[in-house]
Parts: sequence; structure tokens; C-alpha cells
Amino acid sequence: MPAGAKFGLLGPNGAGKTTFVKLLLSAVHPTAGSARLFGKDASLPESRRPVGYLPENHRFPTYLTGAGMLDFYGALSGLSSQERRRQIPGLLELVGLASWGPVRIKKYSKGMLQRLGLAQALIHQPKLLILDEPTDGVDPAGRREIRDILDRLTGNGVTVFINSHLLSEVESFCDHVAIMRKGQLVLEGKISNLLAGSGYTVSASGVSDSALNDIRRTGAAIQPTPQGVSIQSPNRDHANLVIDKIRAAGGFIDGLKPSGSSLEDLFLKATASDETLIERAA
Amino acid sequence: MTDHQKTSSSNVILSLVADTFQEARARWLFWGLFALSSLLVLIFLFVLQVDLAAGAISFLGVGSTSRRIFSIQKFVNVSYSWVSIVLYVWGTFLAIFASAGLIPAVLEAGRIALLLSKPIGRTTLLLGRYLGNLLVVALNHIYLVGAVWLILAIKTNIWNYRFLLAIPVSIFIFAVLLCVVVFVGVITESAALSVMAPVGLGLISVLLAQYQVVIKLLDSEWSRRLWMILYWIVPKVFDLGSALRESILLDKQVDWATPVWTSSAFGIAVLVSALHIFRKRDF
Repeated sequence: MPAGAKFGLLGPNGAGKTTFVKLLLSAVHPTAGSARLFGKDASLPESRRPVGYLPENHRFPTYLTGAGMLDFYGALSGLSSQERRRQIPGLLELVGLASWGPVRIKKYSKGMLQRLGLAQALIHQPKLLILDEPTDGVDPAGRREIRDILDRLTGNGVTVFINSHLLSEVESFCDHVAIMRKGQLVLEGKISNLLAGSGYTVSASGVSDSALNDIRRTGAAIQPTPQGVSIQSPNRDHANLVIDKIRAAGGFIDGLKPSGSSLEDLFLKATASDETLIERAA
Repeated sequence: MTDHQKTSSSNVILSLVADTFQEARARWLFWGLFALSSLLVLIFLFVLQVDLAAGAISFLGVGSTSRRIFSIQKFVNVSYSWVSIVLYVWGTFLAIFASAGLIPAVLEAGRIALLLSKPIGRTTLLLGRYLGNLLVVALNHIYLVGAVWLILAIKTNIWNYRFLLAIPVSIFIFAVLLCVVVFVGVITESAALSVMAPVGLGLISVLLAQYQVVIKLLDSEWSRRLWMILYWIVPKVFDLGSALRESILLDKQVDWATPVWTSSAFGIAVLVSALHIFRKRDF
């Protein structure tokens, strides 16, 4: 994964997503093969130093306050007490819990716990953030806040790895995706390329009939719309050719968007196949 | 290991110890232990307040002054020795009940996954928890034995410092039995079993310690050998208690070495096994 990527891991129940994450974090041991983090054997504690993790169904110690919890996990992450004291107020501020630091965790709502969990994952300024269902139980406004925080982090070079069953969440936030099925990687690539691989829709107006016939001969599907026409191109090169022809004929391009499959279509296709097909879209 | 890593490791251990302490406090285990110990202290205070001891001392004090001093000394030593046993048994078993849930609690899904994701070894994690638990109990033993010793000493004006041996001896046997709590907790994640196993071992040690009588009653060589093997393996809860009582009663050195090293070997072997299993387990 390139630094700063927003990577989503998808798969049906039982595909092995959580096991994969636990392998990376050495919570489970591989029966065969090995896992590496930043070039280091993942079973070594040191390899986990640049990693922040928010597990699914976490159980934070309810006897701690929010600030106390950050202090505890900060210490386990190798931070000195001075570093922890410096980091904690800013982190609580970042996740919108500035006034909740001295309050015991048992008084926190589910959404607040998720945000606090995110803060504990960030306390040692990790290079890689692994989040298991990060917006589980969070209301829409809270989801938006979490996405905004993650966007800021990726802007600063932090790589975010999200394990989620929410396709819409992955589609709206991630730029890379991988789909697992029965413990195998079946699809992986940049979301924009994977979806673009299914074709483009070019919306145009003011295009002459002769130009439309010319375009039709290239294999494009043309559909009249109230504003003009909607042209389906099977790939990016073809879409460029269509645009060139429309402009050469004096027509206007009203819109261009990837068409065909949604992430849901891709997911269903990838997880239904019996073959293990790794499609890498650069 | 670099200086930074050493500092980091000691920070981690300290944090785990502090966290165990906080959890014991939040679960009322710490206060429960403290309250029950205080109850025992109050009972001693009450018993001495009603002059039961003074009456007995006065009764023993009939006769010449020198004979009277000797008798009082003897009475106090007997009292001290039996009180030390009460504290030893009370403190140890109460501590086991209080500690049983602390290991399974940390192994709960959702909690252990986050702990293991941190850059700390599993050995450090479990040892930090072990030490935290030991600290909670050690503080309680110091309070319990110290308070009873002060009450007895002030009341009788006989300051028997050997009585304070009950503190290290109780902490030591608890440290050994805590290894069993950790071992059972790591394997079963059951608080109930984590209590049953060390308590059971404690009771068995009382039986096994009667080997001088029992081996005369056993009719086969292999059963006598088995009894002795078990006697040497199982921690010497009974023997250490007896040594403690004798040491206070007779006011002389007793054989600590044998029960201490055999119990230590048992505890270390069990703890190393628990660590090995914990390192290999999937969570």
C-alpha cells in the first residue's frame, strides 16, 4: 500500500478479513507462510510500533477515564509520560472529546467510544492505522466526523486500512480496495480504475446525426435523453475517442462519469466466482 | 537492548501493574480484601479489649516473678504462632478468591486483541498482570499482619518480630499459588476454575504433608513412591505454615529451605508453562 492510501478490505462473512488483520497484529499465528509489517516479521513486537489499531467489538477498561485510557495505551505503545501528557489533550480535541477526558469510560456512548478508540490508535502517531468496522454504532454525523479525521490523517501521509462490511463506507472513503473470499484475495486495485474498467457514460448535446452514426460504428451504445444523448463507452480509451468525435463535430460534453458496475456489483461478482481471480488495476 | 527500549519496557511493566491495581480497585477487590482484613483486625481488637488475653495472662502469672515472666512469654508466643497461622490461611485463600478474575478479564475478546496489537511481548503482558496482582495482595498482607502484630504487641508489651515473618511467607505462598491461577486462567479463561485449582492444591498439600503417617498405612511400594512424588511436586502450603508457626512458637530458626525451593520450583514451572501456552494461543 502506498503511504497515505485509504485502503478498504471487503469480503463476505467468514472470508478471513479479521483473521488476516489478526495475523498482521500477531493475535493469531499462521499455520503456513508469514506476515510482514514494514519489512519486519509481524510476530515481532517491534514491527507493531508504527501501527495503530481499533478492533471491532472492543472492550475498553470501563474503570478508566478517557484520558486515563489514552495514557495506558500510550504507555503500552512506548511513549514516555511526558510525551503522553503532551499528546492526550490534542487527541481528545481531535476526536471531539476535549471535555470528556476526566469522565469514566462507562459513561461514554457507543459513538464516543469509537472516537476514543480512534484516539488511542493515534496516540503514538502511527504510519499505518488499521480500523475494524470504525463507524460501527456511530450516527451519520459521527461517521462524517470520523471520515474527516481520517482524511486529514491520510493527507499527512498516514495509511488507513479499513476492514468493513459496509460497501458504501468503503466506496465513499477509500481509494484502494481488496476483496477476499474464502481466505483468498480475489480482487484488488484502485477503486476508480476498478469501476472505470466497467465503462464510462458520456453525456452530450448538440451532436449531429452523422457524428452519432460515426460514434455508433465504434461500438458505443447511444441512448437519447431529454437534454441530448447518453453514450456508453466500454473503456477509458473509447470514452476519449467519443469525446474527440463529439467535439470535432461541434457538440458539447455535458458530463463524464464511470458507469456500469458499482462497488456492490464488483463485490458480488468477485465473491460469487469459484475461481480465484486477482485483478490488479494500477 | 538500547536504553530507550529498557525505559520503554519498564514503563510498560509499570503501566500494566498500575492498570491491574486500578482494575482491582474498580472491581472492589482491593477494598473487599481491605474490608475483610479490617474485620479480622477488629475481631482481634475486640478479643483483647474484653481482656480475654489479660485474664489468661493473669491466670498464668500465678507464682514467682521469674516463672510468671516465662509463662507470659510462652503464652504470648503460643498466641502469636496460632494467630500467624490464622492470618496465613485467611490472607492466602482470601487473596486467591480476589485474584481469580483478573487474568480471565484481560483475555476477553476485544480487550486482548487491542493489548496484543501494541509493541509489547506477550510475556511482558502476562508478567505485568501477575506483578500487579501480587502487589495488591502484598499490600493487604502487610496491612493485615502489621495491624494484628501492633495490636498484640501494644496489648502484651511483647514485641515478637518473628511474627512479621507471616508477611513474606504469606506473600511467597500466594505468589506460588498465583502461578496456578494464571496457568488455569490462560487455559480456561474461567474465574471459577482459577479459584478451585489453587485452593484444591492447598488442601491436597495438607494431606500430602502427613506422609510420615500415611506411608506406613500404604501397602504397596509404588503407592508410597507416588505419595512422596506428589508431596515433593505440590507446593508446600502446609509445611510453610507449620514452619511459620514453629519459628514464632519456638523462637528459633527452622528449615525454610526445603519448602521454599520446592514450592518455588513448582511455581516457576507452572508460570513458565502458562507463559508458553499464552505465547502460542490464538485470540
